[in-house]
Parts: sequence; structure tokens; C-alpha cells
Amino acid sequence: MRTLSYMEAVREAMCQEMRKNEDVFIMGEDIGIYGGPFGLTNGMIEEFGPDRVRNTPISEAAISGCAVGAAVMGMRPIVDLQFSDFITIAIDNVANQAAKLRYMFGGKGKVPMVLRTPGGSGAGFAAQHSQSLEAWTAHIPGLKVVQPSTPYDAKGLMKAALDDDNPVLFYEHKLLYSMKGEVPEELYSIPLGKADIKKEGTDVTIVATSLMVHRSLEAARQLELEGISVEVIDPRTLVPLDEDTIIQSVKKTGRVVVVYEAVKRGGYGAEIASMIAESEAFDYLDAPIVRLGGAAVPMPSSPILEKKAVPQVEDIIRGVKSTLVD
Amino acid sequence: MAEKVVMPKMGATMESGTILRWFKEEGDQVVAGEPLLEILTDKISMELEAETSGILLKVYSGPDEVVPVHQVIAYIGEEGENIPDSPGSPTMKSLDSIPSQQEEGEQDLRLNLKDQGSIPNKLRRTPAARKLAQAKGIDLYLVKGSGANGRIHRKDVEAYIQAQQQVQVKATPLARKIAEEQQIDLTVVQGTGTNGKIVRQDVWKERQEIQELPAHDQIPSAKKRMKVEGIRKVIGQRMLQSTTTIPHVTIVTEVDMTRCKELRNELLAMIEKQTGCRLSYTEIFVKFVASALRRHPKLNATLKDDYVVFNPEVNIGLAVSIDEGLLVPVIKNADQKGLQALVEECKGLRSLALESRLKPDQLTGGTFTISNLGMYAIDAFTPIINPPESAILGVGRIGEKLVGISGQIELRPMVTLSLSFDHRIIDGAPAAAFLTDLKELLENPYQIMA
Amino acid sequence: MLEITNLSKQRREHLLDLLYQMELIRTFEEKVEKLFQQGKIHGTMHLCIGQEATAVGACAVLDKQDKIVSTHRGHGHAIAKGMEINRMMAELLGRATGYCKGKGGSMHIADLDIGNLGANGIVGAGLPIATGAALASKLKKLGYVVLCFFGDGATNEGAFHEALNLASIWKLPVVFLCENNQYAMSGSVKEMFNIEHIAERATAYGIPGIVIDGNNLFEIMETVEEAVERARNGEGPTLLEAKTYRWRGHSRSDARKYRTRDEEEYWRTHKDPIAIYRNQLMKEGILTEEGYKAIQVRVQNEIEDAVGYAENSPLPSLDTLEDDVYA
Repeated sequence: MRTLSYMEAVREAMCQEMRKNEDVFIMGEDIGIYGGPFGLTNGMIEEFGPDRVRNTPISEAAISGCAVGAAVMGMRPIVDLQFSDFITIAIDNVANQAAKLRYMFGGKGKVPMVLRTPGGSGAGFAAQHSQSLEAWTAHIPGLKVVQPSTPYDAKGLMKAALDDDNPVLFYEHKLLYSMKGEVPEELYSIPLGKADIKKEGTDVTIVATSLMVHRSLEAARQLELEGISVEVIDPRTLVPLDEDTIIQSVKKTGRVVVVYEAVKRGGYGAEIASMIAESEAFDYLDAPIVRLGGAAVPMPSSPILEKKAVPQVEDIIRGVKSTLVD
Repeated sequence: MAEKVVMPKMGATMESGTILRWFKEEGDQVVAGEPLLEILTDKISMELEAETSGILLKVYSGPDEVVPVHQVIAYIGEEGENIPDSPGSPTMKSLDSIPSQQEEGEQDLRLNLKDQGSIPNKLRRTPAARKLAQAKGIDLYLVKGSGANGRIHRKDVEAYIQAQQQVQVKATPLARKIAEEQQIDLTVVQGTGTNGKIVRQDVWKERQEIQELPAHDQIPSAKKRMKVEGIRKVIGQRMLQSTTTIPHVTIVTEVDMTRCKELRNELLAMIEKQTGCRLSYTEIFVKFVASALRRHPKLNATLKDDYVVFNPEVNIGLAVSIDEGLLVPVIKNADQKGLQALVEECKGLRSLALESRLKPDQLTGGTFTISNLGMYAIDAFTPIINPPESAILGVGRIGEKLVGISGQIELRPMVTLSLSFDHRIIDGAPAAAFLTDLKELLENPYQIMA
Repeated sequence: MLEITNLSKQRREHLLDLLYQMELIRTFEEKVEKLFQQGKIHGTMHLCIGQEATAVGACAVLDKQDKIVSTHRGHGHAIAKGMEINRMMAELLGRATGYCKGKGGSMHIADLDIGNLGANGIVGAGLPIATGAALASKLKKLGYVVLCFFGDGATNEGAFHEALNLASIWKLPVVFLCENNQYAMSGSVKEMFNIEHIAERATAYGIPGIVIDGNNLFEIMETVEEAVERARNGEGPTLLEAKTYRWRGHSRSDARKYRTRDEEEYWRTHKDPIAIYRNQLMKEGILTEEGYKAIQVRVQNEIEDAVGYAENSPLPSLDTLEDDVYA
């Protein structure tokens, strides 16, 4: 099978869908000839033209609101939010409009829009361009939240997001854009709400999202050499969450470490940890649930501090070992 | 369909049994007929065999737990079968059930983990550790925790179980007690019982290999304590009960055993050839006592509440001394058995008693007991009646004594018989009559043919 | 056109100093660009080469107590307002001696003491902040004026409109200076606006809107000074639009496919603010060739010193990570 980068996988899903369905169009800043700051939309305006690949002014509030309106009237817009931090400007339309419209109208109308945006730190973009704010939108009933970690997952989940009749937040990670992986050529869908066991194991479960999946896999690889067998679970979708896969794994291992890049306090991993504690997996726990998350600081720009602010492979290894009693 | 394993009702009066130990663990393969667990009831410990084959799916009660009769203590079935989480619940319980249901169904552990008001320091244990401890019936206060703040983790419970099992080398409770007292390491003792289980003899042998002294007669060099429990406790309770509720009177007579001696000599070779065992006076006494009892039904009776129950069978209990105490295996219908049969049975029962392998029905149903101290330098004594029986015969040693026979002094083999009887239902005269008849029979054995 | 003959010595020196400042900014940016390519600066860069005049010209007419609010393209504003290049360089290199202790980086460089209320990573976010700072000045009668820099892209954010309206209805002492460099990242003004001059939007909020040549230092100084006076006198805000051009791409990863090389060439050749100003000064005899070279040499040395300072500064200690989150 051929390999694509994560970024290319997302683009391919959008393009293949746009070829099939005229109602799908994309709006965003610098997504035209510029191809987006990371090049994700390269070639799209050339193929689909300026009507369907709409290069907008810097007006996140207007764009996201526009998407709501178009979606309600039967189109399937994609909003490209250049950095996930800018959700702050678009949030009213996401949280107060898109999320609530159908419910408020008593089941009439739907908002089939996808807002896709890169989050995460590590590129030195500092406080206002490095956040992981998926927990904000995960908190709003009416929204679905997806966070793929691999090119294969990215394409399949984008297709599923585009097919979904609800507003979907699609959180990419800027450091994952260049990651390569095998991606089928045909358009395929990975169901929302289905986790993926990225690695099987027996001693400790790690539940990780996005970039942290890869750091966890590296940690697992190193721990394997010490005879510790780690199972790595990638929820892939935050809302709705595949609780069952996580619970079964924790029942099996009795130990769990939840790893997320977002600030630990109030990050979505806190929800996962609570869910585990409330579930039947509780009786099988042989150690307290461990959470690893980002430091409660705005992302600093100096690389040495930026690294310290989020979980690294060594932190994950330490976290796993802390669940094992000598 | 998983089969239940229940606490059996081994005797009419049995209300509950104490689990001593399981021979199998949850998940083990079990074959019908093989020993599954050992229980203690009243004064006897016994092995229970599995009645079906399969996997031991679940064990509800662990060692030292007292379980009412007919309560489910385990399930045997196929792997993966659904079984209740606790023995009491009639239906499968989902884990979403409300806490109060959980508490009802939960086996009664010695430690009620929910009742922490009376516990000065709260116990720290992980859910997995608790789950395992509950399943195995382990008191978490006995487990050392290796986690933070002394937290007990699953592997601590596992280690505890393993340690127990290692201590639990297969041995009978008696063998174990002796070994503990004598400070003998069970792991070096060769077991000659079922499945290589260590029995009392094995420990005794080991003991003798260390020192050439009878185990239980040596005064320890330092103060030793032995807890009064198990069989000893039961015997003590029953003795107390017997002596405090039954008005004992003991009457004594001397019997000339000349003719019995002759009888014995006559039959010794033959019986040995037939059975491989030597005819002893015990069997002779059993035979003649049983015969005499036929003519004195009151001494074969039992007092039940306000009723004197006259038993149609003559079942003679033979007191057997074991290190821990006393066992009284019963020879059913002793009056109907020839000496050969009696020899086989007595010897067999005696062996079983020494190895604590008696079955419940071999220990119950007695109507009269004989206690023989004749192997010691004892003439007469005051035996204690074995309830619910109404009398007991104590037999002393047979020794040469000077007796007067028709004006002549002769040396005769004489034995003293001491009969204790329950004066509530038997008066002195009927008791004396019985004893007199017995003496008559022993001194004129051919009368038994009449 | 300003009368530049018969100037006092003080005035001459001041004018030369402005040239030095522009030269300093450009050289600083070029240096930073190089360091970035060498991997010594982490993250991203937004260079203002070609836009030096607006920064220097506007700040030249401010009082020391007046404030500026900057943008993500804020190195020039910072230097023009008087921030030291040593500590700026240290901040860009992520050192503990930087203005923000290594935590802010290029996009958030600030110095409240000197009156720079900070560069900002969010386009348009500076306008409401500037409005608020002006409000404080008015309420507390502090007398300072706030000069708010922003780009053409920002004027399509809701924040721009809301801030202008607010400043207008409350008559706040703020000057809104739009550096229209024709492109908001890749979005050209031709594409993103249906009006020719952003300054036209001023009428929607009842304030004066003036278009100026963003590459003519004198014009900038004159116009900004008038606007600042109006603000200081309580007459409310002004919207100034300085037409200019950024020579480099938006940031380091910009291939600049959205504009032509000819266009870039045109602005570089004909609209270089430093060249224009330099020629003006030379024409008036205030500047000589030697004098200019001396400025260049001085600037080079200062930049080198700044780099040296930064590179020899310690990295922030890891245990400062959680400092300064809360007051």
C-alpha cells in the first residue's frame, strides 16, 4: 500500500468527497493558492475553483457563522481554522449556534459542518498558537469531537466526519502533519466513536490521544525491553467516547495511565480517567489511575520550557512504572 | 449448567460446618470423586469429594469460615459459565446493582470492610486486591501491603495466598497441629495419606527420627501454648455437656477372662489367616457387650427430650485415642457380626480413625460406647457417657489376680469393667443387671450361642 | 512637505537618529532572518523589512509616556519605541535575559515599562486592548495617548469594528494606525476588500480617516502628530492608513505564490523607505555618504553585540516554567 503524510491524507479525504458531493466546500484563511500555512490545501483551489475553496478575510467569527448558515440550508461546509487557538474568536458560532440549533428547534434542522484545525505545541509558536483546546468543545452537547493520530485514521475519520449530519470538530496536530503512514487509495470511513488498540499488552493500559499516542508507543517499546507489557489505546473520537474498549482493557491490566497534551487540569483526559473510575473497571484497578497532561501554563516560546510543559516519552515511562508496585 | 457444591448435612444434628481447607482453587480442573475440600463438623474433620467433574468456577467460602448446611460453597462447571456473584442470590447479578443488594449477597467475611467505624486505622487496598481477597475469603488485615502508605495490592494478596499454600503442604489438621507443636517442618515430611497427604503417623515418624520419644509425653523445655480449638475444643465441650447434664453413676465389676482367653487362642490363627489381623480382646468385648445389650434395651437407648428412644440396632462405638483427643468410630449392628467381621471392621475403623479419614456415617449412630484403657495400667475408671447414649463401658487391663474359686485361691486373668450410666433413665438395679449379665457372658462365652 | 532647511542642531541630530533607527530595524530583521535559517531561533518569524518608516515615524512623535500596541510583526515597533536590541535578541533566542524571560518569543515581545503593550499573535486583538488602555488614560486623567498598530488583515476582524466604535463613542485618546502592506498573509487587499482605502471605514464610526504614504517618514510624522494632538485634546480617535509593503513573505514558510516578483521588485526599488529618507536627508545636506556608512557600521556592531549578548545568556531554568502564571 502507498504511504501518505497525515496532511495529505486529510486533503485526500476532502478532495475525494468534494468530487462526489457538490455540496461540500471549504472556507478558510490562506487556503487558496497559498495552500494553507502548512500546505494542507495545496492544489485544492486549482482543482475545485474559488467557489468551493473559499479564501476568506481574517474573520473567524464570520466564517464559522457562515458555515452554520450554509449547513442549515443543506450544504456541507468545511471550515479551516488556521490554528485551533483561534476557536476563541469562532466559539460563539460553534458552541452557541452550531451545537445547539437542532436541539433548540426541537429536532428541526441540522448542522452538518466540519471544523478542522491544527492544535498542539512543539513548533515554537508560543502561547497563542500552541494550545490543545479540544476539551472546550468536548464539553458542549451537540458537538462531536475527533482527534486522529495517524494518516490512516485521519483520512477515515475525515470521511466519517463529512458524512456525519452533526457539527464535528476535527483536531489535527501540527507536528503530525508530516508523519507518513499507509493509506488506502479508496475513500473509506472509520466510524466515529470507535477506539483503536494501537498496541496490545497485558500489564498496563495507556489511553492517549493525538501526538501522545506516538510518544506512548515509543515508551511502550522501551518498557517492553524491561519486560513490562503495555497496551496503548487511542480513543480517536473524544465525543462520543468508546468507553467499552477502554474499560475492557483496564479490566485486563488493572492499571491505567491517561496521557494527553492539553493542560492536565480540565483536559479531556480528566474525563477519561473519571469514566474509568466510575465504570466496572474500578474493581480491577490495582493502582490509582495516573494522568499525564500539560503543565498549567501558557505555552512558553523558549524550546527548553516548551518541552517541559508537555508529557515526553520519559514522563510516560515514569508514569507507567509508578503503577507497578515493587 | 454449573453444578452447586453445598455444605452437606452430615448428621441429623449438624447445623453448620467449618471449612478447613480447599484442595482445589478457582479455575482448577476437578474430577468427580477426588477430594475437593476438608471440613470440620462437631468433633470430626472430613474430606468432601467432588460430586461432578469440571472446572471449579467459583469458591464462596474460604478456610475457617463457618457455613450453614445446604448453603452453596462453590460451583463446578464449564469455563465461562455464568454463576452468581454470591451464593445467596437466586439470579445473576449485574455489576450495576445498587450497593444494598451487594451487601446482602456478599458472603459474610470475618472482616466487614464497609463497617469501618470500629476499625481504628482504615485499610488501604486496591479494588483488585479486595476482589481477590473476597473471592478467596482472605482477611485483608492479615495481608502486608507493599504499596504507598502500606496499600495492599493484588500481588500482596497473591503472595499471602501462596505463603499460606506453602505452609499448607497437604497434611491433615492433626498432622499439622502436631507438626506445629513439635516444630517439625512439614515440607520435609513424607506423606503416606491420600495423594501424598501427610498424616499424623508421618509426622510422628519424623518426630521419632529426630528424637526417640513419644511425641505427646514430653514436657517442653520452654513454656508452650496450644490453642484449644478444633477437635480438642469440641471434645471439651461435649465432655462438659455430658458431665453437667447427665447424672453419672459408675458401677464396677471384675471379670474372669480365662474362658475368653481360651476363646481367643482358639480363633486367633484362623482369624489372622482370614483377615490378616489379630483378634484382640476389644472385638471380644464388642461382641459380648452387643449380645448383652440385646437383653437390656434400656442401656442401648437414647434420651431425646422427654423420650427414651429404644434403638432397634446395637451400634457399638469404640473410643480410639488419637493425639488430638478421642474419636469414636461406630460398629453398626455389632450383635449380628461374627468375630471375624468384627475384627476386620474394628481394625479398619481404628486405622481410619488414626488417620482422620473416618466418614461421618462411621462416627454417628452409636447406641453404646466401649472405652478400653486396657493397654495401660488402668484397672477401673469413671468413663463419661457419650451423648446421646445412656451408658458407657470402661474396660481396664487384664492382669493376673488372686481370686477365690470354690474356696481355693487361684491366679486368674481378671479385668475390671466400669459401667457409667445415665441415672435419669437407668437405675442402679437395671444397670447392675446388665453388668452382671455381661460378666456372665464373658465368663461363659458359649452362652452366646444360646 | 516639511521645511527641512534652517533646522537646529538638535533637530538635525534627531532626524539622523531616525535614519539610524530604521537602519537598525532593517539590519536587526535581516540578522534575525539569518539566525532563523541557521536554526538558532525556534518557532516562526514575521519580518517588517520594508515597513520601517511607519514604526519609526509614528513613534518619533510620541511622548515617552505614550503607549503603543503592536502586532505579530512587531520587532520594528519595539525598537522604534526604544526597546533594547540586546534583550530583544535574547528573547528571540529563548534566553532568560529576554524581555519576556524567554516565555513570549517573537510574537509576544513586550515591555510595559517603556510603554509597549505587546506584540500579539491574534490578528486584531490589539485594537480592543488599545481602546482599553486609552480608556484608563481618560478615566484616570493620566494624559497619555495610545498608538495602535495593526495590519490590513485585522480590519476584517470583528474586533476592529467594535474597538473603533467604542473608542469613537467614548472619545478615547487612541490613534489607530493601519500598516496596509497589501497582504494579510496571502490574502491580497484586492481580494479581501470591496473598498479602495481602508481609511474609508472611519466614516462608519464617525472618526477621521486619512490615507498616507507609508514609506515617507516625514508624511508619517506629520500626520501621526496631528492625530496624536487630537487624541490628547480629547477629540477622540483617528484612523490612519499607511500604504506600504513587506518585502519578505508573511513568515518563514511563505513561498509568496500570491504575488509577483515584479511587484516585489517595484516596491523594493521605488518604495524603499530607508532609501527615500536617506535621499531626502542627503538632498538637504543633513547626511553625507560617510555619515551614512558610519550609521551602518554602528548598526552592524550593535547587532553583533546583541547576538553575542543573547548567545551568552543562560537559558531559562526549568523550574521557572510555572512562574508568573498568576499575579
